[in-house]
Amino acid sequence: MIRACHLYPDLLNLYGDGGNMVAFQKRCQWRNIPLQILYKSLADTKDFNAYDFVFLGGGSDQEQKLAGADLMKSRDQLQKAIENGLVVLAISGGYQLFGCHYETGDGKQAPGLAILDMYTETGGKRLVGNAVIEMKLDGVPTRVVGFENHYGRTFLDGIGPLGKVLFGKGNNGKDGLEGARYKNVFCSYLHGPLLPKNAALTDKLIRLALKKRGLEPYLKPLDDTFEQRAHTALLDRLGLKAN
Amino acid sequence: MKLLLSSAILTGKLAAKLSRVCGYGGSSFPGLLARLFCPGALKKLAAQVRKGIIVVTGTNGKTTTVNMITGVLQEAGFKTISNREGANMISGITTSFIMNSIASGKIDCDYAVIEVDEASIPEVLDNLSPRLVVLTNFFQDQLDRYWELGKVIGIIRDSLLGQSQTTLVLNADDPLVAQFHRTTCLPVYYFGLAADKNTGKRDPTAREARLCPFCGSLLVYNYCHYGQLGAYSCPDCGFKRPKPQVEAMEAGEEGVYSLTYPGSMVPSIAALEMQTQGLHNVYNALAAFSVSILLGVNLQTILGGLRKYRPAIGRMENFRHGNNQVYLNLVKNPTGFNQGLETLCEDRGAGDVLIVLNDNFADSRDISWIWDVNFEMLAARQKHLQCFICSGLRGEEVALRLKYAGIPTGKIVANASMNQAVRAVLGGNRGSTYIFSTYTALRPVHKIIESLVEKGDKSDQGMPSVS
Repeated sequence: MIRACHLYPDLLNLYGDGGNMVAFQKRCQWRNIPLQILYKSLADTKDFNAYDFVFLGGGSDQEQKLAGADLMKSRDQLQKAIENGLVVLAISGGYQLFGCHYETGDGKQAPGLAILDMYTETGGKRLVGNAVIEMKLDGVPTRVVGFENHYGRTFLDGIGPLGKVLFGKGNNGKDGLEGARYKNVFCSYLHGPLLPKNAALTDKLIRLALKKRGLEPYLKPLDDTFEQRAHTALLDRLGLKAN
Repeated sequence: MKLLLSSAILTGKLAAKLSRVCGYGGSSFPGLLARLFCPGALKKLAAQVRKGIIVVTGTNGKTTTVNMITGVLQEAGFKTISNREGANMISGITTSFIMNSIASGKIDCDYAVIEVDEASIPEVLDNLSPRLVVLTNFFQDQLDRYWELGKVIGIIRDSLLGQSQTTLVLNADDPLVAQFHRTTCLPVYYFGLAADKNTGKRDPTAREARLCPFCGSLLVYNYCHYGQLGAYSCPDCGFKRPKPQVEAMEAGEEGVYSLTYPGSMVPSIAALEMQTQGLHNVYNALAAFSVSILLGVNLQTILGGLRKYRPAIGRMENFRHGNNQVYLNLVKNPTGFNQGLETLCEDRGAGDVLIVLNDNFADSRDISWIWDVNFEMLAARQKHLQCFICSGLRGEEVALRLKYAGIPTGKIVANASMNQAVRAVLGGNRGSTYIFSTYTALRPVHKIIESLVEKGDKSDQGMPSVS
């Protein structure tokens, strides 16, 4: 059985981010992969060694700060679990928390978990709009579609991005990179939410979670007609082709 | 100066005529032109309103509340204008005043009831100096434009600080609205909805107001109607739902509510009857009732006016197609959409569903909000529903959302052509049809429906509007 943990579902769920958990859960359910989802928020005991997959969404400044301060209490345990292969998906605000520091809308700096070598600053206009990136999944170039809406500019220091920007702004509107990836940690500014219409990425996360649990990472193919239609509809709109 | 105003009015009227002749329904252009000619046009026209201006703002329920208030005031014999013509930003509001004035710059009315877009409040308040400002509620709405609700609320608060002659009419059940008493220090009048047999079970579903607006602690709820509307209190600083002056309670009979309100000497009770569906419309009626009481309208006139109210375009607007009912509902955010879905699920005769999702600027370019809509409740009733048709620029996304909500893919059809989609859903002929549409698809969908059916009640044509 895979054990997943949705962190701060009441605070970090700004742009339908909960849809990512729905996609993860359904694609396990359709394949009869047993899955337990735990919902953990402020003051709940968190045991990152016991989870295979952890999800964090985005939130407003105030909510992000509350969640960040709470997560700081279990920072070392979380870092150790990540080194041991814990699968993490972190979107926008949740993504920023993993860096060394981030800035809120009023320009104030807040400390991050400093688990990933990156940082976030603010400045200029909000980066808003449809976005497409290309990432590598098991060596295969894969297009990922979504919508970004962030004020923060994230700069990667020693880690790689999730993908290259084909359309949109990405991490900071400058270096053409989007998101971050370290071991089994996947970070992105893309919501939409991200997973439902990017089924290949969802399945990758499920395979990694199975592996983490010590199970055979085999996934029965599903009929992805609906997923592909939603995916290509946006690519067509933006004049891009599917892989 | 006088000459400028009257030429601005003439230009505006001419522009309105032109845009109608050319087939544009758009109503902000004349006001825009008039403001170019005479920037003070709106202020000058508004100053002539004899008894006062009532401004209605908030996320959901603006149009309905304005139409209800206007109905009551007209029933009471007052000459009342409103921006039923449409647009709720500064140009559209200017248009409404121009269309109700004569060329010399004279406007003859007792009241003006004006719906205002939240972001336009500073400019509009400056020009209108309203007697009453109604705040309906604050929900997540088009976050790619108003990216954080707190910012919008701050803008409205700041512009109210300059209005010393204004009384606020506030929804006591929404902590984001009720906070305005303390943040503005203006006189307030609260309305609210008491618990009934269905409340108490639900937890707040909206994410907007989990935190106390004053100290940031998690609010605790005794009961919750929907979204964050309910009886909240803050365990740390003591902020809580204020006792409303006007409070409704379900009377047991469908569509009838018992209202407690301050009578001349003691609290009195009245029976409120409505012909519209949904709890959100009870809130709208409560707002309209409160405004009318504050303006001194006679009780029977108020209740009569509210009883007569018919929904405007896309507010669960009712048509007949053969033997079947067709309902058209505008959707803009998860809370409103959930309300519509609840109504659908309570209708045991519901057969087919059409959802039209566009992602133009006025719809919100970001469509991720559909994942916050509780389509899972449709899945729970899907056995009784025949077909789910999805259309609009992002119809495929709705289809995908429905699949993940648990609706069998065999019942989901994505059809990019709105025309075909509407024909297909009406052609089902399997009981009531529910159509949900985002803003920029509403008029096209409305037009297609009208070409195929007769309106449910011809006695009152709904008035178009924006919110």
